Amino acid sequence: MAPTGHKYYYHAESKQSTYTRPGLPVPAPTPPQDASASFYQYSAVPNLSDPRVANAYLAQLNAQNRPAQGSHRGGRGGGDSRPRPQPVDKPRSKVAIPGCEPWILVYTRCDRRFVYNPVKNTSYWRIPEKLMAGILELDKARLREKAMSEGPDQKENDKNKEKEKEKGEDTAAAASESGSRLQSLGLEEADRDQADDSSEYEEVEVTDDEADGDEAREDDNNDDEHPSKRQRTEEPVEFSEADIAFQLQAMGEQYGLDPGEYDDGNRDEWPEGAEGVRFSEEDARALFRDLLDDFNINPYNAWEKLIEDGRIIDDPRYTVLNTMKARKEVWQDWSKDKIKEIRERRAKEEKKDPRLAYMALLHEKASPKLFWAEFKRRYRKEPAIADPHLKDKDREKWYREHVNRLKMPQATLKADLAALLKSLPPSLLNNKTRLDQLPTQLLVDMRYISLPAAVRDPLIETYIRTLGPPPDGAGGGGAGGEEEDEASRKAREAKERRERALREHERNVAEQKKRQQRSLEMGRARLREEQREIERAMQVGKEGLQSPLAALREKEKEKERDLEGGAS
Amino acid sequence: MPPIRNASKRKPPPEGFEDIEDQLLIFQNKMKDAHNKPPPTGPKHQAQWEIFQIAHARSRYVYDLYYEKEAISKKLYDWLLKNGYADAMLIAKWKKQGYEKLCCLRCVQTKETNFNSTCVCRVPKAQLKEEQEIQCVSCGCRGCASSD
Repeated sequence: MAPTGHKYYYHAESKQSTYTRPGLPVPAPTPPQDASASFYQYSAVPNLSDPRVANAYLAQLNAQNRPAQGSHRGGRGGGDSRPRPQPVDKPRSKVAIPGCEPWILVYTRCDRRFVYNPVKNTSYWRIPEKLMAGILELDKARLREKAMSEGPDQKENDKNKEKEKEKGEDTAAAASESGSRLQSLGLEEADRDQADDSSEYEEVEVTDDEADGDEAREDDNNDDEHPSKRQRTEEPVEFSEADIAFQLQAMGEQYGLDPGEYDDGNRDEWPEGAEGVRFSEEDARALFRDLLDDFNINPYNAWEKLIEDGRIIDDPRYTVLNTMKARKEVWQDWSKDKIKEIRERRAKEEKKDPRLAYMALLHEKASPKLFWAEFKRRYRKEPAIADPHLKDKDREKWYREHVNRLKMPQATLKADLAALLKSLPPSLLNNKTRLDQLPTQLLVDMRYISLPAAVRDPLIETYIRTLGPPPDGAGGGGAGGEEEDEASRKAREAKERRERALREHERNVAEQKKRQQRSLEMGRARLREEQREIERAMQVGKEGLQSPLAALREKEKEKERDLEGGAS
Repeated sequence: MPPIRNASKRKPPPEGFEDIEDQLLIFQNKMKDAHNKPPPTGPKHQAQWEIFQIAHARSRYVYDLYYEKEAISKKLYDWLLKNGYADAMLIAKWKKQGYEKLCCLRCVQTKETNFNSTCVCRVPKAQLKEEQEIQCVSCGCRGCASSD
């Protein structure tokens, strides 16, 4: 069904449509399919019942009004049923319009523009007539600026684009304006540039797509004002491989994936930086090891526990390695090295005396009021009591001894402590020793713990002050410590470097994603536009039969005009 | 009957046991929970799967510590085997070529099956039909061939 209500036949393969039955021998004229020919097929004007008359009229009028109409992507007057463009448009920049003060010209992300009055809080896609002059001025200034800033060859294109844009705006604005105004505008533009190339025009222009509803209706009524409907592609919409790939990519974009993460098949066409997180194998492994280091993972624990805890999963470094297998492998290596390190460190460290903890417990908790059995039961949960390296017999013996000493007078205890301190060699106890790093020999002695800390500590402090400096040859440990510091510092620096690289990489990836998203949305909008165009093209009106003639006539006229323009 | 020893008089475990004690305790608790769980609804043979799986994981843990990471001493390893923290027979299989990932000993007991064959989980994925999902009867293994 054509929009006018007539039935016609359409051959899907040969893409031909006729009004007469195809089976009949009479060769019916088919509506034209190439872009220029079917130009006016859409202009179904119900009140002009004779299509021939209407077309002739249209052709004449348009040849006068719009010399370069062919390249103009009007995109207006689609009616109310047209869907809104998908990429949500947002204002990007605004310019005050000179001469008409409260009004602002706002540019959107899709390179469209509208005017806004902040005082009345109103905005129009259609630019009111009174603002026209100011906006024209603005555009001219912008053009000049562009021309100054860019090279001569670039200038031509830009001028073209700008002009197109301006014209789109102007036509939109001047929908109700008189034909003479349009004509003068058209002439002015024709003078400026003749080479209208629609291919580059596609890049920029999204004209007033959202022309408000009443305007669209207006267009329908007096279509002679805006007969230009775009007609670029003729192919029926069908999904090709490329489309599917495109959709896959779009889906990936929606979920924030890189193509590398779902592998759309055409590896060569991925945009730069899309191959997922790309690190050298070594860096990735090192990063994962850093992650394990940072979370203080116990290297003795099983892999399953690490995953069940799930702390490391939230870290961005977790995804540096792609497969669980690789992660487990790195973890295995890491824990192996870590355990080795721990063993070495322990071997270097002098062994901690198991008595230390027990003596500290005795010093804190033992009292003459408790028997050994009671004491043991009360503190059986303490690690010092549960420690398997001490024998229970010894513990009992020490407890009894300690409790007996607690009953002795303090003077004896003090004398005992003094004797103990004197017995220690100067290499262990000297005036450099601090109270919190007293030698083990002292700490595990019964005589040390039998005095309360408040009495004991000042005694020891005064005694240490009377001592001489440490004998030579005790400096070996210090140098080793420095060496270790050096090594750890180097490791830290390397790690920082790697992390900086990771951060940078993440930032790059995010930027890339944003850019892709933007271009994708632009592409989608364009695709939709084209689809609509095709739909429009499919709706051949009653006068579709006449349109080739009209178009031809119009073409000729255009040529004439061009010649005239060249001559003048 | 072996003498029952008091905890305080027991010989302490060998050096390095404290490091792995936590993880072993986790396994122990898991095993206890699995024992005390009411039997699951469904096929009867599935009731023991969890037990097998925990025992496998624990044996694997000990095996890795000793053979892969060399984190524990021979003394401690022997002590662990003796005290039932790992299955020595299973570990003995893992050391043989082709049995590196064996899930449980029952799966290689050919004499216990009708056709004197091993369990289906021993079949490499490459030889199974495409997309064939298997889970073996004895321990719920989904495939433990070395080539997988």
